[in-house]
Amino acid sequence: MNLTLHAALLILTVTFAGLCHADLNSKATSAERAKKLIDDMEALYRGDISKALITMQVVTPQYQRSMEMVSMNQGRDNAFIRILSPKKDRGIATLKLDQEMWNYFPKINKVIKVPPSMMMGSWMGSDFTNDDLVKQTTLTEEYDLALVETVDHYTITLTPQSQTVTVWGKIDYVIDKTNLVPVSQRFYDDNNVMVRHLEFSELRDYSGRLLPSRLEMIPLNKPGHKTLVIYESLNFEPIDVNDSDFTLRNLQSRF
Amino acid sequence: MLIIKLALRNLFRNTRRTLLTVLLIGCSLSALILTDAVLLGMVDVMIESLTKTLSGEAQVHRQGFTDNYDVDLYMPESASIESQLENDPSVAAYASRVISGGMISSSYNVGAGIIYGVDADQERHLSKLAAAITLGHYLEDANDILIGEPMAELLEIKLGDRVVITQAEANTGELSQALFRVAGIFKFGVRELDSNIVFINISQARKILGIKQGSHEIAILFHDVSSADLDPTGLLSSLTDDTTEALGWRALNKDIAAMLEMTNYSSLIVGAILFFLASLGVINSMFMSIYERIYEFGVAKAIGTRPFDLFQLIMVEALFLALLSCILGMSVGAILGEWYATNGIPLGEMEISGIAMNNNIPTVLASHQFTNFPVYVILLTLTAALYPARFAANIIPTDALHRSL
Amino acid sequence: MLLLKLAFRNILRQRRRTILTVLSMTGGYILCCLSFSLTEGSYKNVIRIFTMDHTGHIQIHRDDYLQRPKVFKGIDDTPQQRQEILSQPGVHSIAPRVFAPALAYAGTRNTPVQIVGIEPQLEKTTSRLFDKVNQGQYFDVNLNADGYYSAMLGMGVAESLQIKIGDELILISQGADGSIANDIYIVTALVGTRNSWDRNKVYLPLSVAQEFLSFYGKVHQYSLLLADESAVDSITQSLTTALPTLTINPWMQVEATFYNSMEADKRGNRFTLLIIVFIVFIGVLNTVLMSVLERTREFGVLKAIGSRPGTIAGLILIETMMLAIMSLLVGVVIAAPIIAWFALRGIALPDPIDMGGIEFGFMTGEFSVGVFAWPMLLIMAFAIAVSIPPGIRAARVSPTRAMGSF
Repeated sequence: MNLTLHAALLILTVTFAGLCHADLNSKATSAERAKKLIDDMEALYRGDISKALITMQVVTPQYQRSMEMVSMNQGRDNAFIRILSPKKDRGIATLKLDQEMWNYFPKINKVIKVPPSMMMGSWMGSDFTNDDLVKQTTLTEEYDLALVETVDHYTITLTPQSQTVTVWGKIDYVIDKTNLVPVSQRFYDDNNVMVRHLEFSELRDYSGRLLPSRLEMIPLNKPGHKTLVIYESLNFEPIDVNDSDFTLRNLQSRF
Repeated sequence: MLIIKLALRNLFRNTRRTLLTVLLIGCSLSALILTDAVLLGMVDVMIESLTKTLSGEAQVHRQGFTDNYDVDLYMPESASIESQLENDPSVAAYASRVISGGMISSSYNVGAGIIYGVDADQERHLSKLAAAITLGHYLEDANDILIGEPMAELLEIKLGDRVVITQAEANTGELSQALFRVAGIFKFGVRELDSNIVFINISQARKILGIKQGSHEIAILFHDVSSADLDPTGLLSSLTDDTTEALGWRALNKDIAAMLEMTNYSSLIVGAILFFLASLGVINSMFMSIYERIYEFGVAKAIGTRPFDLFQLIMVEALFLALLSCILGMSVGAILGEWYATNGIPLGEMEISGIAMNNNIPTVLASHQFTNFPVYVILLTLTAALYPARFAANIIPTDALHRSL
Repeated sequence: MLLLKLAFRNILRQRRRTILTVLSMTGGYILCCLSFSLTEGSYKNVIRIFTMDHTGHIQIHRDDYLQRPKVFKGIDDTPQQRQEILSQPGVHSIAPRVFAPALAYAGTRNTPVQIVGIEPQLEKTTSRLFDKVNQGQYFDVNLNADGYYSAMLGMGVAESLQIKIGDELILISQGADGSIANDIYIVTALVGTRNSWDRNKVYLPLSVAQEFLSFYGKVHQYSLLLADESAVDSITQSLTTALPTLTINPWMQVEATFYNSMEADKRGNRFTLLIIVFIVFIGVLNTVLMSVLERTREFGVLKAIGSRPGTIAGLILIETMMLAIMSLLVGVVIAAPIIAWFALRGIALPDPIDMGGIEFGFMTGEFSVGVFAWPMLLIMAFAIAVSIPPGIRAARVSPTRAMGSF
């Protein structure tokens, strides 16, 4: 989920940078440009608030599930997600504050802190992990960046530094040059074998911002599995989101 | 002197019978030696498997640690315990471990396991970890991790791949993660160890768990395994107090210890039965030899030989029989015992009390097999010979002389 | 006829020798019977204990669930399916079960557990779960007064969570449809011991577990008890033919490690016995050979008056067989009460032994035809083998030379 947020923010930064006529084609080295790209994004990220209505579809060889949820983000540290449908799961909510995560289950009216043993497990049965949601995105500090430019795309390759704690050997971000929107993210193991990839498609206009509405996460080592995330709506200046939404109490509040 | 000459001559008058009887008694002795050797071998294999694979012959823990393996129950003062072990003459090796459960993730999959933080050097002298490595190498760099074959398969990883360990810190329960590289893949051959345990450097383990110093467990190997039971230097008792306990392997594995006690008895029982049955054959054999010579005995008595002399004669014959049998029995026992000591007896796959015995069991020849057992054989043969000897001594000359063919 | 008379008279000629030889064969026979009886009996006892504990004699799964358990590998559980299984001859009772890994929470503590969904009444017919309840009450499928369903916990779970009867237990897991399964249950019973198989289990009523996991109408396993436990293999066969879509696993596969260890131990025992009997028969060989050599003159006469070599060899054979039969008769008479005692009472081992994960507490004997018959065959076989060299010797006696000796 973090990657989705991440993607959204990358899109955001790029778009904002575009709006500010930032000169991405300067004569700085490609590493510096890549860092700027991501830094701009992170600069934009701070203090930002957004609210989105999302449909998530999980497909496995054994079942298919579709969920609707509302997702709120504050900066890069705080996130609140509440499931609206199906009826059985309505009201299940997740709160992330920095590195910690809690889940709320309305049926039993309990708030459960996600223990370390569950962090690497999947979030809500999808192909995203709890860890994905929680991981801090200090990309420029923890990863080495390299930018490759082609006619249509920017590809930023992120390689974790020796001390970085991650299961990925390499991550590729592919950005469409024309629209300055992400096209895909690819996750590799240490031997350059792609393990999973996230595809962005179907550009939509969200109050003037052009962003991909459809994100598809496909793990390559589990045939028949995929998770599809669709942004039904995305609001960068939500008026009904404030600090009190990112508290444990809010997990249990009526909505 | 005469008796000895007579006895020997009598024995070899009917060589076939003597040989068969010697074969009977000798085989019994060999059987007993070998059975005992196999049992000793089994016991040795089991104890060694139990103690030398990973656990050690004794362990020091916080009291209550072994109940639930609570990560909070570690010994902060383990360094001072280690120096005490260093100075104790009965201790051959010791190794500290920081142990706790956690999740192990690769790029592909995640699995639950137990993470052992070990001191590479100490561990090398204590457990079979270094020898169990089938691919790659032992712990060298700080971030090395050793993973068992089944877990490597589950996580779909190879040498050099990255692995993230996720654990809850001691005392706080806070999430803690660290990155490692697969340095080696091991196979102990014990399913529980290979599927569930990974090894990292103890310094890293302490870091992840937020433990500044100390360890959960110190395993000990002695120069002589009996030190675990006898505690000759008083080490184990001196280390045990209100918060800490030092236990030998028998106390840590009560059910196995009990079973091993039982196997000692099996040896005795099998031996007793074997000899009882063999002695019946001996008695028979002696009687036959007496019947053949009944005329002779009659004559001997008629010319004045005392009953006791005849008794003695039979007993001496029995003694020589026993001695010859012992030579045969010990030789066969030694040869087969040696051969199986190198090649082992195939028993198939067995697992008793969690100890896997998949390989052939080497027999163990011990001195008591070649000193005590032959003595039993001689005593038994002599006892068996008492009845026939008494019979010979009480022969009535006239009856005997009548009994000519 | 004449031969039999002759043989009988011959063995009686040398009372003492006959008695001693018979005694040693009897001893060997009794030993074999005892060893057979104790190994078979003890193992049968252990097998009975753990098949009744939780394994059942046969388990039915979908595909390779036994080797790779995944929540979605379920069997469609219909009354027809159960009836089809129960109608197989030899099947005594059936218990359906659902399994799933979960996280259990109580208070501030949590621990990983395995959920086992059972039908309380059916489970009683196939396992001893009811007897293993050591605190609280065996549950039923109903909601309690406060509207909660009941759960029974293994001791390991109870200790980790420090939970008591009447406390709330929260279970979180992943449903078969991918949803997050979450619910609260009330603990009504604690089962087993700290070391038993169920120490990390949480038992729920089957329908409750199915609801929890969104696994409607399905089960992971049928556990079967047979009327006759020795019919396992044949019934496995008939079930495999009758239910081609399901996998039938006899207990030997479910508890493979124990089974292998047991077989290895039995092999070791057989081998020791063989050695002992072999040694007994060296003595018997000695005896028979001696008796033949003694009667060389006799055989010479017999051959001189026309007896055929085969007849003489046959005589020796019959003599030996008679000795064997006598020893077997005495053996049975002595062994029977001893083995009966072991079968009925047995000795308790001071400390139970763990073999392949299963506990061994008693040495019981088995009282059956096999226990007495197999050793009989063994003794007879050895007796026949042992009579051959002397028999040949006797048959080859040359009349003239024989009668010339003393």
